[in-house]
Amino acid sequence: MTGDPPPDPAERFDEVFDVYFAEIHRYAAKRLGPDAAADVAAQTFLEAFRHRRRYDPIRAGVRTWLYGIATKVISRHQRTETRALRARARLGPGRHAEEHTERVDSRVSAEGLRGELAGAIAALPRGQRDVLLLVALADLSHDEVAAALGISYGTVGSRLNRARTKLRKALGGTNPMLTLEEQHG
Amino acid sequence: MDEVRMVRDFYPEPAPPTAREVARAKALLNKPPRRSLPRLRWGLGGVVAAGAAATVAITLVGGNTSGGGNTPTPLRTVNLGPKGAILAAAEKAEQQPTGNYWYTDIVAGQSYIMRPKTGTYAITGAADESFHWTGAKPGMGEVYHGRDLPAHPLTKQDAALWRKAGSPSSFRVWSNDHYYTYAAKGTKWSANGPERGIDPRGGGDFLGKSVKDLQNLPTDHAKLAAMFLSETEMSKALGQAGKKLSPEMEQRLRQAEPYLKISRVAGILGQSPVPPKVRAGLMRALATQPGIHAIGRDTDPLGRPGVALASDERTVTVTGEYGGPKAEQGTYRYRAVIIFDERTGAVLSRQNELTRPGGPYAEMKPGFIIEYQAVRSTNWTGTKPKPSAELPSFG
Repeated sequence: MTGDPPPDPAERFDEVFDVYFAEIHRYAAKRLGPDAAADVAAQTFLEAFRHRRRYDPIRAGVRTWLYGIATKVISRHQRTETRALRARARLGPGRHAEEHTERVDSRVSAEGLRGELAGAIAALPRGQRDVLLLVALADLSHDEVAAALGISYGTVGSRLNRARTKLRKALGGTNPMLTLEEQHG
Repeated sequence: MDEVRMVRDFYPEPAPPTAREVARAKALLNKPPRRSLPRLRWGLGGVVAAGAAATVAITLVGGNTSGGGNTPTPLRTVNLGPKGAILAAAEKAEQQPTGNYWYTDIVAGQSYIMRPKTGTYAITGAADESFHWTGAKPGMGEVYHGRDLPAHPLTKQDAALWRKAGSPSSFRVWSNDHYYTYAAKGTKWSANGPERGIDPRGGGDFLGKSVKDLQNLPTDHAKLAAMFLSETEMSKALGQAGKKLSPEMEQRLRQAEPYLKISRVAGILGQSPVPPKVRAGLMRALATQPGIHAIGRDTDPLGRPGVALASDERTVTVTGEYGGPKAEQGTYRYRAVIIFDERTGAVLSRQNELTRPGGPYAEMKPGFIIEYQAVRSTNWTGTKPKPSAELPSFG
C-alpha cells in the first residue's frame, strides 16, 4: 500500500549489509578496539536485520538508522570502551606499544594531551559521549544524531555543548591542535 | 577551539574488517533467528506481510524439525464443511457499497508463560493495535495509527490464576533470547514511530490495486489461486522471484507453504476491501491448497466464534542455545489457523495454535493461542475514520 516505507532494508538487506558493514565496523573499532569491533558490527546488522521491517525512512536514512543501532550495541560494551580509554589515559603518549603501528595524530600526542583527552572522553556521561562520537567519528549532522538516538534536536545540541565544555576544561583550556606559538601568543 | 575535530583526530584509523569477519557477520543473518515465534505483521499489506512470514516460517522449519513427517495424516478436504454456509452467505451478499475511506483495525499479541508457585498461566504481551485508513483514491491520504495494549492474562482461567498470584501489574517473561518485562499498561494512539505515519498524498492503493481493480477481480477460485497462491506468485510475494534457491531452502519453503498461504490470504482479506464474491473465491482457493484443511469451529482471542481453516502441523524445538530457563525449552507443535465470520465470510483472525503441548507450552492445552493478529473491525466510511479510545475486549 502507499505510505509504506520504501522497502530497502526489508527487501534488500543484503545490499544494506554490503554498503554499510565496513563503515559500522570502523565506528565500532574506533570506539571499542579491533577485538570487539567485529562482534559489535555483526550484532548491529543482526539486530537491524531482525527489525528491518520497522525501519522508517521518514524518520531516518538507513545509515543513520544503523548508527543508532550500533550505538545501542556499543553501549552494552561500555566497560570495554571506558577501560580502553582509561588505559590510554594512564599510559600517556607514546608508551603504548601498539600506538606506533596506529596512525596517531602527532600533534595531539606531541602535546602530551592524549592521555587527558582519553580520560575526559571516558569520564563523559554515556549520552554525551554518544552524541560527541556520532558527530566526530560518524560525521552525523545534529538532525541525524537526533534521529539515530531518538532524542530531540535541542538535546543533541546541549549534550554536545556539555561534552565540549568538559573536554576543554579537562585539557586546561589548551587546544593541542593549535601550534605552540598560538598558545603562547 | 574545536573539540570535535580534536576528538576525531584522537581516534586512530582502525584496520578494516577481515573477509572472515565480514563473512561470519553475514552468515549470522541466515541463521534461524532466536525468537521462537516472531510476529507476522499484516500491517503493510499481503505481499510484504507474506515476505515477513516467510523469514519466520523458513527458519522455523530449519534444522531438526520434521515439517510434518510424523504428523498424523491430516484430513485433506475440498469440502469446507461448515463453511459451505459462509460461502453461500458471502455469495448471496450484495455488492459491498464503497465509501470514501477504508479502515482496518488490527489487534496483535504474543503469548508468554508465567510460572509463579501459585500456578502457571499465560499472558498476552507485546500486544498492540494498529488502525490504518486509506482514501479510496490517490491523494485522499493514508494514515497508520498504533498503540501498545496492556499486557493481560490470556483467558478467563489465566485471569483466575493471575489473581491467585496477587494480580501483578507487570510480567517478567523469557522472550526468545532475553527476559523482558511487559506492563499491564498501554500507550495512547499515535501516528509517529515505527510502522506508523501519515501520508497526506497517499490513498487509492490496495495491495497495488485500485478499488476498481478489486471490484473486477475474478470470483473463480482457480483463477484466484493462480493469481495469488501459485508458486510464482508466492515466491514473488516472498521476494524470492528469479533467485536461485539452494535445495535446502527450497525444501524449507515447500514445507512452509501452507502456513505462508494462510498469511497471504489473511493479508489480502484482512487488508483490502475485496467484494464478497472474491472473498468467497479466495477462501475456496485457500481451502483447496495442499496442506490446508477445514477444522470446523474455532474462537479468536477477542472471543468471537467462526469457522476455520488450518495448515498442517509444524514442529518447533527450543534449545538452550540462547540461554533461558529450562522450562522454556523443548519441542511442541502448532498450526496456523485462519478464522472466518460465519455470517459475512470476513476474516476474524489469523492465529498460531498449539497442537501438541511441549517445551515452553508444556502446561498449555491444544488450541492454546501462541500468537495472533485479529481484525477488530474494518469498513468503509464517509468521513476520515478515527481509532477508538476504547480498549478491545479479550476472550
